[in-house]
Amino acid sequence: MIQILSGIQNTSAALTAEQTRLDVISENIANAHTTHGADGKPYQRQVVVFDTALQQAMNGDGSMQMAPIQVARVEKDSSPPIHIYDPGNPDADASGMVAMPNVDIQEEMADLISASRTFEANLAVVKNARSMAMETLAIGKH
Amino acid sequence: MIEALFNQPNYLTAKKALDAVVLREGAIANNIANLETPGYKRVDLAPSFETELERATASRDPQQISALQPTLAVDTTAVPGSRDGNTVHLENELMQMNQNAMTHALETQLVSGMLSRMQMAITGKD
Repeated sequence: MIQILSGIQNTSAALTAEQTRLDVISENIANAHTTHGADGKPYQRQVVVFDTALQQAMNGDGSMQMAPIQVARVEKDSSPPIHIYDPGNPDADASGMVAMPNVDIQEEMADLISASRTFEANLAVVKNARSMAMETLAIGKH
Repeated sequence: MIEALFNQPNYLTAKKALDAVVLREGAIANNIANLETPGYKRVDLAPSFETELERATASRDPQQISALQPTLAVDTTAVPGSRDGNTVHLENELMQMNQNAMTHALETQLVSGMLSRMQMAITGKD
């Protein structure tokens, strides 16, 4: 296929990866108070792990061969749950302590901003590539 | 013969510069896409290309200009901004991208202008 918009495949892969990250962050925020998950334990915060760049090989024509950007896996944050004193809670133990999920709302919000900024940056690339392609197509017109 | 029309050094230089700008757009798109990739090193146009193009243009030799090929290389001057070794800085990339878009607009206009002037010389009308 002709490449009118150069480098756009990786941009769309990055958009998908950022979308996954946004999904995981929203899941974390939604479950910030889930003390009793399906396994009976408090919800564990999830983290998106991006694949490491292993390939940065040169092609013959001078372009770069990039490994596709992708989410390697979604891991569970193994840090311990936060214990708060709430004897009225049905999940409280004998001493009135409740194990709350290890989700820090402030941290999630900061992550959310970072992910949406990256998403926006990739959209800006698409917009830019498109206007450049339009300029190229207009060569010779007057 | 007819090739001579399109073998003027200025026209060839503008074409090569346009090739380089498009290649660079791809590199910047890649850098921004890899903003979160651990260990990614930003790529850019090989720094030698600009000097080589300048030298070839100064020689006014169409063959020398045509033979030039813009290439990409890992930017060795970039420093990692975080501990994961990634050397992409978003604000820098966005600035470079905009600068690249402006250069692209300039060069497409240059090429367009050269073509329309040629047409004017042939037909006598604008």
